[in-house]
Amino acid sequence: MNNPFPLSRDGLLTAYRRMKTIREFEERLHVEFAKGDIAGFVHLYAGEEAAGVGIMMHLEDHDRIASTHRGHGHCIAKGVDVRAMMAEIYGKATGACAGKGGSMHIADLSKGMMGANGILGAGAPLICGAGLAAQKLGHDGVGITFFGDGASNQGTVLESMNLAAIWNLPVIFVVENNGYAESTSVDYAVATDSYVDRAAGFGMPGITVDGTDFFAVYEAAGEVIRRAREGGGPSLLECKMIRFYGHFEGDAQTYRAPGEIEENRAHRDCLKIFTGKILEAGVVESGELARIDSEVVGLIDDALESAQAAPLPSAAELTTDVYVTY
Amino acid sequence: MRAIGIIANPVSARDIRRIVSHAGNLPINDRANIVLRLLTGLAAAAVTDVVVMPENGGIRTQLMRTIERERRMGTLRLPAVTYLDMPVTSTFADSAAAARRMDDMGVGAIVVLGGDGTHRVVASSCGQIPIAGVSTGTNNAFPEFREPTITGLAVGLAASGRVPADIALALNKRLVVTVNGRHEIALVDVAVVAERYVGARAIWKTESFRDLFVTFGEADGIGMSSLVGLTDPLDRTTPEGRRIRLAPAGAAPRTLAFPVAPGLMGKVGILSVETMAPDIACRPSVNSGSIALDGERELTFGKADDVSIRLEIDAFRTVRVSHCMAFAARHGLLVHQSCSPCHEGESR
Amino acid sequence: MARTLSMMAAINEALDQEMSRDPTVVVLGEDIVGGTGSPGEDDAWGGAMGVTKGLIHKHPGQLIDTPLSESAYIGAAIGAATCGLRPVAELMFVDFMGVCLDQIFNQAAKFRYMFGGKAETPVVIRTTCGAGFRAAAQHSQMLTPVFTHIPGLKVVCPSNAYDTKGLLIQSIRDNDPVIFLEHKNLYDHETDVPEESYAIPFGEANIAREGTDVTIVTYGMMVPYSLEASETLKGEGIDVEVIDLRTLSPIDLDTVFESVEMTGRLVCVDEANPRCSIASDVAAAVAQEAFGSLKGPVAMVTAPHAPVPFSSALEDLYIPSPERIADSVRRTMGAHPS
Repeated sequence: MNNPFPLSRDGLLTAYRRMKTIREFEERLHVEFAKGDIAGFVHLYAGEEAAGVGIMMHLEDHDRIASTHRGHGHCIAKGVDVRAMMAEIYGKATGACAGKGGSMHIADLSKGMMGANGILGAGAPLICGAGLAAQKLGHDGVGITFFGDGASNQGTVLESMNLAAIWNLPVIFVVENNGYAESTSVDYAVATDSYVDRAAGFGMPGITVDGTDFFAVYEAAGEVIRRAREGGGPSLLECKMIRFYGHFEGDAQTYRAPGEIEENRAHRDCLKIFTGKILEAGVVESGELARIDSEVVGLIDDALESAQAAPLPSAAELTTDVYVTY
Repeated sequence: MRAIGIIANPVSARDIRRIVSHAGNLPINDRANIVLRLLTGLAAAAVTDVVVMPENGGIRTQLMRTIERERRMGTLRLPAVTYLDMPVTSTFADSAAAARRMDDMGVGAIVVLGGDGTHRVVASSCGQIPIAGVSTGTNNAFPEFREPTITGLAVGLAASGRVPADIALALNKRLVVTVNGRHEIALVDVAVVAERYVGARAIWKTESFRDLFVTFGEADGIGMSSLVGLTDPLDRTTPEGRRIRLAPAGAAPRTLAFPVAPGLMGKVGILSVETMAPDIACRPSVNSGSIALDGERELTFGKADDVSIRLEIDAFRTVRVSHCMAFAARHGLLVHQSCSPCHEGESR
Repeated sequence: MARTLSMMAAINEALDQEMSRDPTVVVLGEDIVGGTGSPGEDDAWGGAMGVTKGLIHKHPGQLIDTPLSESAYIGAAIGAATCGLRPVAELMFVDFMGVCLDQIFNQAAKFRYMFGGKAETPVVIRTTCGAGFRAAAQHSQMLTPVFTHIPGLKVVCPSNAYDTKGLLIQSIRDNDPVIFLEHKNLYDHETDVPEESYAIPFGEANIAREGTDVTIVTYGMMVPYSLEASETLKGEGIDVEVIDLRTLSPIDLDTVFESVEMTGRLVCVDEANPRCSIASDVAAAVAQEAFGSLKGPVAMVTAPHAPVPFSSALEDLYIPSPERIADSVRRTMGAHPS
């Protein structure tokens, strides 16, 4: 079968597997959180998968990302181990951060994942550092900082855009615009309403894509990442996307329009849009996707069971790893 | 005096061409200023009411902020601005829905701020309401580069009948693409490319180009239609179209360098240049791929799909700004006979 | 071969030697080269105080002038530290920490713990501190306790050129984030400084003066002031031991306890404000661990609980002086004559 897409068949299946893994991971957390088994703050990425995966498909381990409080999707897309993530969210010793970080701080530097972050906009300066390191160490790594429409108003983000521009850093500023900063609408909180205008204010190109369309994100991300890798400097990519759940688990979301979520789930589900396209083109068959689905469900089942069964950190861990040496 | 409609697209000039070819991005604040200048021209031509497409892209916020400030300062000299009561999806569907509503309301004309893509959407939904374009998009083969104050004046004079319709208005060609019975239109060009996904929408990879159909092509034009302009030019009024069969550079008897998009030169092989007669259905050269309408990939098709492209003449109406202003000059339409000094905005 | 250097020259030499030794050491900050992009000469400033003057010619590519964006470049230094560089970021005044503190206390300080021991953040943030320059409330603070309060940060505040070189070299080689505070009043202070590279380990206090009657625990600019007071008191028959903490986190309390066990008297001298200060921290530790050795109450000599004033009449009162230190020691002795 002639493949009309910009990814190989295997690439399409990989993208699907990653998006599906994120969806399943988040949907399962939503259910488990409601049972009261998970402590703390959990922010879900469900509905936004095409953005994270569409971008991360272009990255290698030596490329760095700085994530947000809504970081599970970025972690999975960047290759962080799902079992270790689940155990971390359950605060277990086997977690990605030994149970000391939790949902908002999952990191795996070996995979280039510099951490989810509980401080909005804090990743932007850090990723400038990743870009500076790539420049000084002479490798072709890029840095990508994700932030939402809310954090786009943080001074750190704006300062970092200026810094990246004057140093020509291989850095990409990804605005994940899901329309809500916690409960506050982007229409209220962002003065110019256009992130491309903001990029222009710092002398860097910016583009806006439909974040529910994997291929739109993939293609645009490919260009901005290639540009950064080849020395073309920073750029901004705004992905307009849909948040299926609340700001955090437990958010009643009374600020949303009646029927908004149902409408989005029915018509603007990035996973459905993606599968519709690849099935319609006949590049993959529904049986292959069903097989991936069952593998993903198995993986999440396993991650959940092993996380629940895993030991809690020992008391001795309370004060370890504060420093390398002290 | 009938109201005038304004459709200002806040999401034009935001796509991938800003990365691949230094395309411009008219800031939202400037778009709001364009609307304000347009309103100034409309007011001077005695237009009292304007209806505007609502959007959440920032133009409305800036516009209403400015109007409110001028009202407070007592310097407001603009028509009354009303926003259509319609849901906002922040997609091209908004422009289409607004055009349909303005058609239903019977506005005198619709002024469109956008590029070829926005004009295409409005022209497909506005029936026989004349449109006037102000270029704020990326690729602007269709709308004119013109000072919006003048567009406002001309539209007001045309809509009020002070410039007769036979002088003020022009009829335009368009292309109709039919896929399995569903119709889409293009104002300038239809390109068939081999990639079968819409992706980031814009087209710039010339190696994938297979067919081009155009309504007009000027030698100094920008975008795909320049291929016609540089091989066999065609104006906006001659009742025919052009079709060019394309191949990758080097895979055809001649290869042409042309401005694919603002800031982007490309090369493509020319297999043939043919004349399109009106109302004859043409088939694409390939049996699967995607179709770009006025420079943006909109449709994908495969072997099983029935695809045709057809030229229509006299399909929709536009305001001829230069003709309107020339008529206004000849007939003194803007001359005031009163002896006391008065502001233009008060002429109504 | 004895050679004297000012503290400023010692910092310059430490940076120079470390940049030569390790090409991943990069130095960045506002005006650290100076004149970048300007029509006049390069290396125009070499930092606001001239500390980095001349280094750009020896290490082009390892010194980077930054825009006036403390959050962005301090954050970038921290991010780069997790990606293979050893950045030394210069923040002109510690007072500016408020602008970029999130990057320091929520990011750099917490990465290692929060990420389960898998992150190393070898970054040094050099900054100037201290009053005495009529620079008023926003350019004169100590703020040392702010940093010692935060787990994950190491805090260094040297009192002389020799320690400065060795501690800065150690800071650059250390794999944890280090806040390195340089007292403006000490920049011209000269001591013998060996030409060769050397590192002074963290967490080892220096007994700046041995004595048997009373222990002064202090750091930074208050070390020379305490030594001056001790010379005065020597004439009065009071033999003072002066402990220079050198690093505030980690802190060498063992040396403090040993001294207090010997002298039985403690005066904590701190240029910072008194509440939750280094002085109160040491006093509390001694009360907890060496109470039985104390012959009398612990005394504290600190700045008042007030911002640093501008007027010379007030600023001179604000900063603990050798006289105030000596008075405090006398009271400590007089209250409980031996």
